[in-house]
Amino acid sequence: MSQNAIMQERPIPLLSEIKLAEESFLTDDLLRQLINIGEVDILVGLPTHNNVKTVGLIVQQIQSGILRWFPRERAAIINVDAGSRDGTPELVTGISIDDIHRASNLYALRTLHSISTQYSSHTASGGVLRIILSAAELLRAKACVVMSPESSNVEPEWLSKLLMPIYKDGVDFVTPTYRRHKFAGILITNLLYPMSRAVYGVRIREPYATEFGFSGRLGSQFLGQTSWGSGTEGSDLELRLTLAAITGGCRVSQAFLGGKAHVERRAADLVPALRQTVGSLFSALEPDFPFWSAASGSQPVATTGPEPEFTLEPLRVNRKRLREMFSSGVVELDSVFQSILSPPTLEEIKRIAVLGEDDFRYPAELWVRTVYEFAAAYHKSVINRDHIIQALAPLFRGRAFMFVVENRNSSADQVENNIESLCLEFERLKPYLLQMWNG
Amino acid sequence: MREMIISELTQAMHELARGFAHFLPRLMVMLILAFVGWLIAYVVKVSLRSILRLIRFDKLSENAGASQLLNKAALPSSSELLSRFAFWVAWLGFILLGVSILGIFGLEEQIARFFLFLPRLFVALFISFFGLLAAGFFSRAALLAAVNANLPSPRLLSIAIRAIIIVFVLSVVFEELGLAEQTMLVAFGIAFGALMLGFAIAFGLGGRDLARRFLEKRFVGEKADENEDELSPL
Amino acid sequence: MPLKQDVLWYKDAIIYQVHVRAFYDSNGDGIGDFQGLEQKLDYLQELGINTIWLMPFFPSPLRDDGYDIADYNSVHSNYGSVEDFKKFLGSAHERGIRVIIEMVLNHTSEQHPWFQESRSTQDNPRRDWYVWSDTDTRYKGARIIFLDTEMSNWAWDPISKSYYWHRFFSHQPDLNYDNPAVRAEMWNVMKFWLEMGVDAFRLDAVPYLVEREGTNCENLPETHEILKELRQKLDEQFPGRMLLAEANQRPADLRPYFGDGDEFNMAFHFPLMPRMFMGVKLEDRKPITEILQQTPEIPASCQWCLFLRNHDELTLEMVRDTERDYMYDAYAQNKTMRLNLGIRRRLAPLLDNDRRRIELMNGILMSLPGTPIIYYGDEIGMGDNINLGDRNGVRTPMQWSGGWNGGFSIADPESLYAPLILNPVYGYPAVNVLSQKRTEHSLLSWMRRMIAIRTSTRVFGNGSIEFLYPANHRVLAYVRQFGNETVLVVNNLSSAAQAVELNLRRYKGNILIEMFGKNVFPRVGDLPYLLTMGPYQFYWFRLRRI
Repeated sequence: MSQNAIMQERPIPLLSEIKLAEESFLTDDLLRQLINIGEVDILVGLPTHNNVKTVGLIVQQIQSGILRWFPRERAAIINVDAGSRDGTPELVTGISIDDIHRASNLYALRTLHSISTQYSSHTASGGVLRIILSAAELLRAKACVVMSPESSNVEPEWLSKLLMPIYKDGVDFVTPTYRRHKFAGILITNLLYPMSRAVYGVRIREPYATEFGFSGRLGSQFLGQTSWGSGTEGSDLELRLTLAAITGGCRVSQAFLGGKAHVERRAADLVPALRQTVGSLFSALEPDFPFWSAASGSQPVATTGPEPEFTLEPLRVNRKRLREMFSSGVVELDSVFQSILSPPTLEEIKRIAVLGEDDFRYPAELWVRTVYEFAAAYHKSVINRDHIIQALAPLFRGRAFMFVVENRNSSADQVENNIESLCLEFERLKPYLLQMWNG
Repeated sequence: MREMIISELTQAMHELARGFAHFLPRLMVMLILAFVGWLIAYVVKVSLRSILRLIRFDKLSENAGASQLLNKAALPSSSELLSRFAFWVAWLGFILLGVSILGIFGLEEQIARFFLFLPRLFVALFISFFGLLAAGFFSRAALLAAVNANLPSPRLLSIAIRAIIIVFVLSVVFEELGLAEQTMLVAFGIAFGALMLGFAIAFGLGGRDLARRFLEKRFVGEKADENEDELSPL
Repeated sequence: MPLKQDVLWYKDAIIYQVHVRAFYDSNGDGIGDFQGLEQKLDYLQELGINTIWLMPFFPSPLRDDGYDIADYNSVHSNYGSVEDFKKFLGSAHERGIRVIIEMVLNHTSEQHPWFQESRSTQDNPRRDWYVWSDTDTRYKGARIIFLDTEMSNWAWDPISKSYYWHRFFSHQPDLNYDNPAVRAEMWNVMKFWLEMGVDAFRLDAVPYLVEREGTNCENLPETHEILKELRQKLDEQFPGRMLLAEANQRPADLRPYFGDGDEFNMAFHFPLMPRMFMGVKLEDRKPITEILQQTPEIPASCQWCLFLRNHDELTLEMVRDTERDYMYDAYAQNKTMRLNLGIRRRLAPLLDNDRRRIELMNGILMSLPGTPIIYYGDEIGMGDNINLGDRNGVRTPMQWSGGWNGGFSIADPESLYAPLILNPVYGYPAVNVLSQKRTEHSLLSWMRRMIAIRTSTRVFGNGSIEFLYPANHRVLAYVRQFGNETVLVVNNLSSAAQAVELNLRRYKGNILIEMFGKNVFPRVGDLPYLLTMGPYQFYWFRLRRI
């Protein structure tokens, strides 16, 4: 088995992949700006797309954080903008702290550069993160952090929490944990976290983080080992980086940041979210097979600050629609599910799809088997892979409905326990995943 | 009388023998050609299989979804299929060549016509194969999109799309093969038209409200009722 | 005989700050003197110096290195006589070298006869010459300057049983400038030296002349009035002489000391100096450009005095706390080096004896707008002795040769006024004038060439300055212009090689001629001008349009 896997690891490269001179994806303008910045100790990456409402405050908070905790360090902020038309990049560069711009009223011992570069998806492959990683390598940054432009509640302390472990304690990768509503981020609490924990053996609460810190060393490693073909588009690289940190044996820790800013989401966002996260996770399973097939159980990760919390304020959720979409999805996609799921699992699902709201159960075990069978089907490409991911959406809604109903009156501790038992279920059924994978 | 029969018979026998004698070498040639053809075809098959494996054709066809189709039809993998197909084409070619040497009158013409027909057959098979693939792919894509967008009757939509594509593919295939072109064209036209009319009526009558709401939203303003109370998955 | 006057001579001056006691001992008593100084005038002329600033040489108990004066109209016997001084002055003028002497206006030594009289009784005629009080609670707003030694600005006098005001050491009572007799007498003192031919005065501690209740007793309007009065008399009676202010203040508070060109001719730019050191350590021009952006315009006839080091500690009074902490950690890890919110080290030890950094700092000193001051011994890279008390570690004997007492004196080494620097790195066998004169590439030879280039053009002392702000923040670049002369100065503050693109569009069409080697560099075109620079390297380019 492992022989096959190893052979799978090193496929014979396609002729088109062997190029002598690769076209550079770093623009001349960005390179010039990097030359002017020179070596830094700390690099902050800030991807944006039409975030003019929030980015000004965020950059100022970042600057405050750096000046407060790293006043003597050489630092720079690099904004990678995906074609904003609302003046976001200009806003970012305008509050650079140096002897030319006087807009900022913060006092700094040193120049704190704040540059911006454009990222266009048709010229560049590998996305925003690749640009930030390349900048980090060229600038020889010791510690880097990526911030989200949507976190309007960012505090200067976040810089310290995400960077100090890397800068002072030799940690390679720091992921955040948050205080969130118990029903926010169900995709993470019910799928990404438990599955990545069970499969990879490391308990990272937010494997797909929008703000995280990484060491220059990890960044260079990731940059070097990843094949940057056109298949690696988009922002699924955050998850890949997390997994690379785990499989690379790097030191990982978590830091509690506080509340997560609420962002408006729509029902139509689920499929793209699934693609970015679950799709990414499934496709990472293949090259990482030697690692995760040997891992068992799960190790906790050092955490600074309190454990992640749940808030319990009442939240109106359209449960009815969740359940309806689940049931109708099960019915309509029967032909698709037959290619993906095993007959017993599909039977079960069809059975619960017709249950009334009060009797409805999507038990943990069934959900775990569902997810694992999907992962195996993805691995075998039983049908087009993107279709496999899309097909998961209604089933996820069913599980989300279950979770909401089960925890509607639960306290934060109970919610945590439920998630923990789901995780243990994922871990318990890992052999099942291996079986489906190889069968 | 008897002598005449005997002499006729003998003559006939001689004729037969002579004919046979004439025929035998040609038969030998044909058999030799067939044998040589088999060897060459085998070499073609093996080399084509290696080339396909080198460029990882199987993987590509897997991604395109061809493998699933083949699996369903209990056919071997695509590279295997292609290699075998090439084998048969090559061998058949040699056999037919040998047959033409046999000199059986009329057969040559038929053989020529067959050879002329072969490329079109090949193209037709090609079109139908990929057409079926496309039909499967797009219909499934439509199904998934409709289910996830919570549109009404997603299966109907999926089947409709599959039907349209298949009908289109069939008509192209028949046109390519040159079989009953006109009939097929007209039939396709009628079928397609009927289908479209059916949908128009169905959606027009049945989807009146939906159309109104859609137009309202686009031209009058946002109505956020669909999006409230939605969970953020991340 | 005073030199023929060009009234703005100080704008083209290269000043050499020296203590006569430390320079050269002619009579073998272990203490430098005026006859010795006179003998070394050739050395200074060769170096390219055209102005000497002498530290106080007046009779004094020497408890503050001569700034506690006991007689204004004489010369301390250690250094010679008034006649010796006159002779030295004449010789200096013959070589075209002007002389600036100290004038401590603010206070005298407690041993000065005036104070002895003033304290004797409450109704002595000179009672009012000093600031007396029955309590020590007046003028609470005034800060203490010598933080390491003084607890209060008032000292108790057991003889007259009252407090007297002193902004510096307690043995330096402040004169009372509200008293017209004091003002008149101080002018007489100055006249005494002016008539002898002295070219300029450095007025010590001027911000503190006048005290008023409810203020911080610094920079008061009354003080400026007094100074303007002095300047007026000077211009009327001795045209072409100069007044140099020692006022360690923020740029905005320094500006009034120039008045409208009717107060001081020159003033030290104190805030710039620590920021130059900070910029080189941070490898970032921001501290330097920011302080210069905050420096106010001064009248056309006035001039800033720029310096890297002097006889005092490298003062960190006028910087923020974060900056001071950084400077301490960067330059004075050893707490013994810290004194009175400053660092008491010489130039070479501060820069790790790094020849390139020493050259860079001197290059910046000579190219920024102002008159540069070289502290004696820094032209050969002398070291310091932080174990000598107070600030005496930077006031050790001049190292002339590798021989007996470093060539400073023929006396017994134990009888020198201060011990020589002996360690293998900075000691006189390693660092001395004689060895460096013999090497073409010694620091001394380099300084001589550098000063020659500096004095070859008037643009540095008289020209305007326009900063270029290239995106590479490690490069400090500016353009000096005077008349039709334009010079581009580019400094790499970093310890690593740098590439910098300069926006010289305004100077398109000019050819750059590097001033040290006189080689031609590419012409300025439409594109940004790319320069690559080695660690701590600097360029001076003359821009010529041919």
